[in-house]
Amino acid sequence: MLHKTPISAAVAAATLTLFTAGCTATGQVQPKATEAPAQVDYTKMKPQELAEYLVFQSGSYDLAQPTQEGTTGKDRLTQDELQKVCSQVARSGKEIDDKTAERINKMAMATIKYPEGGIKLGDWRKGRDIAWSGFGFRTAHNPDDHNRGTPGGNCYNCHQLAADRTGGTIGPSLTGYGKIRGSSPEMLKYAYEVIYNPHAYFACTQMPRSGAKGLLTQQQILDVMAYLFDPASPVNK
Amino acid sequence: MIKKALCALPLALALVSTTSTAKAPEDILDELAAKSKSPYLTQSPQNRMMMPDNPAYDIAAEGEQLFKQKRGPKNASLEQCDFGKGPGVLKGAYVELPRYFSDTGKVMDFESRLVYCMKTLQGYTDNDPQIRQRHGNTDIMKLTTYIAMQSNGMPWNPPMNHPLEKAMRDAGEELFYRRAGPMDFNCATCHTNPSGTRIRASVLPNIKIPEEWTKAISWPAYRVGHEAVRSSQHRVLECLWQMRYPNLKPDSDVNIALISFWTDRARGQPAILPDMKR
Ligand code: HEC
Ligand code: HEC
Repeated sequence: MLHKTPISAAVAAATLTLFTAGCTATGQVQPKATEAPAQVDYTKMKPQELAEYLVFQSGSYDLAQPTQEGTTGKDRLTQDELQKVCSQVARSGKEIDDKTAERINKMAMATIKYPEGGIKLGDWRKGRDIAWSGFGFRTAHNPDDHNRGTPGGNCYNCHQLAADRTGGTIGPSLTGYGKIRGSSPEMLKYAYEVIYNPHAYFACTQMPRSGAKGLLTQQQILDVMAYLFDPASPVNK
Repeated sequence: MIKKALCALPLALALVSTTSTAKAPEDILDELAAKSKSPYLTQSPQNRMMMPDNPAYDIAAEGEQLFKQKRGPKNASLEQCDFGKGPGVLKGAYVELPRYFSDTGKVMDFESRLVYCMKTLQGYTDNDPQIRQRHGNTDIMKLTTYIAMQSNGMPWNPPMNHPLEKAMRDAGEELFYRRAGPMDFNCATCHTNPSGTRIRASVLPNIKIPEEWTKAISWPAYRVGHEAVRSSQHRVLECLWQMRYPNLKPDSDVNIALISFWTDRARGQPAILPDMKR
């Protein structure tokens, strides 16, 4: 045990399944938190297969944890089609190919629902609060209590917005957005769609699908848009 | 066997005290910063200035006492714990984890191995506060800080000889790119951007830039904002929280796979132990 040689490691590997099964059968004490189900051999799985196993079957995540939207941790970790495709793109380390991008664009566009009264800018002050809030939907060891506040849009984490506060740089700067782009109906429709589901234009973008995933309501999106477009908003000062 | 290891112990400790004075964590950081000009490495001059007086050193001193003290139902110290380089060998052990252990048949990261030793050598169980209380001013964090420091300045070098070590690293890589949750985040969303990219005011480390990534994974680190020393598993939890993922159990295989992959990506770069972070 003192000296680990490649030979003893190889022997241990060969007898691994037998060894762990034997331990459980004879009731030997094994540390619970580090115990892996003895019946599977990780080395026989492809990396992606093992990753899925680890997520859903290794007892790692609290899959039963309740979420703010009334689902479970397991639902949070279950990938939809877009997430699956975009994970593969990210994993490949390559640019997304045109065909896949087009498919994602279409799929995303189909999710967008428009406000009944048309796209009219809301209240930029409310929009500012939403854009600058990272509260909401966090779970893990410290779940956000949605009775204590309204979930925000997280925009500031990735975008520079108004010049008065420091925003992130994962996305492009949106400072002066309305002033630069103007507020034509086409422009407003585009911005609404980007915020609702950005994959309609930017396939496999890092930006969340705030509308399509129910993170923001239609009214909240219109408020955030007012923050981006209203001439009185600090974004355009 | 026990007698032999005990005799070797004072020698091992003497070695540690001479090597750890060779290059301080702040010197290692300075060299990395000079080499790479990375905004992530230089984002906090205040932290850099405080590093010689890192509160983690006091916590490590408490950890050393805990390590040597006979404790627990079996009234034993941790001096026979095998972190992969033989019972009682601490020097260089931390930078060679996670690794495969034949006594458990598993790949274990540092923390799960420490817990294993506290259980098997000292007789603690999952219900004991010594095991249950992970984060904050806990025994586990004191011990972690003491033991990790014995690898300061050494290159990350997790072994990849056993098929399970490779399997866990490769699964960790898949997990790193796996998008899920209401915001579609994977780790890559925030940790593969051009150097200097920020989430609000925090500069994000890029896993593809080894000089940045060695600091990123240099835990334990004293977190100034938390007024506590934090572990690798704590950082995983914090990022999962931002990602809107469910809770992750301590020592779980998702933890170990992610940590296997992230340590592999800092291979060859010097560890900064203990570090100081925002
Ligand atoms: C996780 C980071 C992230 C978050 C959070 C985020 N965005 Fe983005 N956003 C991006 C990125 C990246 C792009 C660039 C699109 C691309 O190429 O992927 C972008 C693009 C945009 C654009 C289009 C810019 C253009 O050139 O027309 C708008 C508008 C926008 N975001 C608004 C918002 C708003 C409003 C919010 C908050 C509700 C938000 N974003 C939240 C990352 C983010
Ligand atoms: C939404 C963005 C985001 C995502 C997604 C994310 N992280 Fe982080 N991560 C951060 C931020 C912010 C920090 C702190 C950086 C700082 O303070 O400079 C951080 C810090 C870290 C650090 C330590 C570096 C430091 O200085 O604190 C590691 C290692 C890390 N993350 C790994 C991961 C892993 C692994 C995942 C996926 C499980 C992940 N992150 C997902 C935002 C993210």
